[in-house]
Amino acid sequence: MHAQLELLLEIQDLRTQRHGMEDGTLADVESDVFAVEVADAIEILDEKLGELETRLTEEIGERYSRMARKGMRAVAPVIKGICYGCFMAVATARASEAGRNSRVENCEHCGRFLYHVV
Amino acid sequence: MLLRDFFSAETVQLDLAAETKDDALRELVSVFGLDGKSEGILYKMLKRRENLGSTGIGRSIAIPHCRSLVVNRLRVAFGRKMDGLDFKAIDEKPVRYIFLIVAPPLEVSNQYLPVLGKIAQFGKDPDVPDALAALESPEDFLSLLESKGI
Ligand SMILES: [Zn+2]
Repeated sequence: MHAQLELLLEIQDLRTQRHGMEDGTLADVESDVFAVEVADAIEILDEKLGELETRLTEEIGERYSRMARKGMRAVAPVIKGICYGCFMAVATARASEAGRNSRVENCEHCGRFLYHVV
Repeated sequence: MLLRDFFSAETVQLDLAAETKDDALRELVSVFGLDGKSEGILYKMLKRRENLGSTGIGRSIAIPHCRSLVVNRLRVAFGRKMDGLDFKAIDEKPVRYIFLIVAPPLEVSNQYLPVLGKIAQFGKDPDVPDALAALESPEDFLSLLESKGI
C-alpha cells in the first residue's frame, strides 16, 4: 500500500473516531458504558490528527484539506467497483487492476481519495 | 436482529494464546481473515481507541471496538483467556472475556451502535461471566447468546 494512502486511511479512521465522540448516542455509550471523558478524548484525537496531517505531502495535504474544510470525508472506500463517497462506479480498468492501493488515486466523480477494500 | 446472528463459530476463540492485551487484540483481529496490511491498520485503530480509555468494562469483560475503512461490513469476534489479561479495566481486574466489534465508517443498516449496546447489555447480566467460563465449545457460546434472546 502506498505510504501516503495508508496515512490518509489512518487520518480518516481517526476522524471517524472523533466524529463518534461528538455523535450523541455513541458519545453517550462511550461515556456511560466505557467511562470515557469525551472532551479529553476529542482533545487527544485532535492532537494526533494535527500531527498526522503534517505528514501528508503538500499536494495531497492541500487536496485533503480542501475536502476536510467542506466537511467531506476525504477518503472513500471502493467496494465492488463503487466509490462509497458518491456511489458512482469507478473505471473498471482501474478497479480491477492488480496492486490496488499501491497508488494514491482520486475518484473521477467526487474527487475523494480512493481506498480499495480487499 | 439478535446478537447470535452476528457471530459464527469461526470467530469464537475459547483459548486465546495471547499473554498480553496487545497480543489478544492482534489474535482476535486475525480471525476475520483480512490481509496483513488491513489487520495492522485495524489493530492500530483499536489501540487508538484504547488510548482514550480502556474498553474493559469490569467483571472480566472487555469490548474493544472501532470503525475502520479496512472492513466492508460489521464484524464481531469473541475471545476467552481464563488466566486473565491486564486490560487496564475500569475495575482494575484482569479481563478474561473479549468481545471485538469492528465496522466500516458507514453502514447501510447501521448495526454498529445497536450491536455495541447489546453486547454491553449482555455483559451486565450477572449470570454471564460464569456462563462464559463454563463454555466448552464455540457452539456453546452461540447457544448462550441465543438463550439470552438479546
Ligand atoms: Zn466518488
